[in-house]
Amino acid sequence: MLPLLLLKTAQGHPVLVELKNGETYNGHMVQCDSWMNVHLREVICTSKDGDRFWRMPETKIRGNTIKYLRVPDEVIDKVKEDSFKRDEKRPNVARGRGRGRAVGGRESGPGGRGGGRSVPGAPARGRGRGRGE
Amino acid sequence: MSEAGLADLVGVTISVITNDGRNIVGTLKGYDQATNVILDDCHERVYSTKTGVEQLVLGLYVIRGDNIAVVGEVDDELDSQIDLGQISAAPLKPLAH
Repeated sequence: MLPLLLLKTAQGHPVLVELKNGETYNGHMVQCDSWMNVHLREVICTSKDGDRFWRMPETKIRGNTIKYLRVPDEVIDKVKEDSFKRDEKRPNVARGRGRGRAVGGRESGPGGRGGGRSVPGAPARGRGRGRGE
Repeated sequence: MSEAGLADLVGVTISVITNDGRNIVGTLKGYDQATNVILDDCHERVYSTKTGVEQLVLGLYVIRGDNIAVVGEVDDELDSQIDLGQISAAPLKPLAH
């Protein structure tokens, strides 16, 4: 399981973030991204020595300043549910990236690239490999 | 140990030493290319010269790879034989560079 996936799943849950400078931020995770940048709401910031506190309605923390995050125990069980749900939603869909296209179809399926949408009444546009006919 | 990654430690108890000199022990649940690590049911072992090792329960942690100095496998059986309360040692100093 990827750490960033766990953090995504922690959205809406209370978390504790300790920064490299020793400050800690307690709040509800609103959002996080693939750089571990974190957006918290209803935050209590605690100084490094632990004797000064600040309340703030929201905070955004740059990912690379984070030392660690504490996440509620139940979140790890929800990650499993989430990935399971995603699997259910797209049964038997070929995964993976790369070039190539579905066998037996011309420009069919999500593997294709290029090919323009035509607008009624407008000259046909679109790029893509032709067949030289 | 066939490769350098942490793949064969997933599900295993590991001990992490962080750049600030802390020792955190828990079950490795996941990791990524940046060595960010998920530790489940983890605790910190606080070393001191005056008293035995204190264990602080931390719970579920995501430790950022930037902050990790060492990851080591823990032999649960051997570890359970250690009476940490009887051990005293100087704490690690934070990493300096």
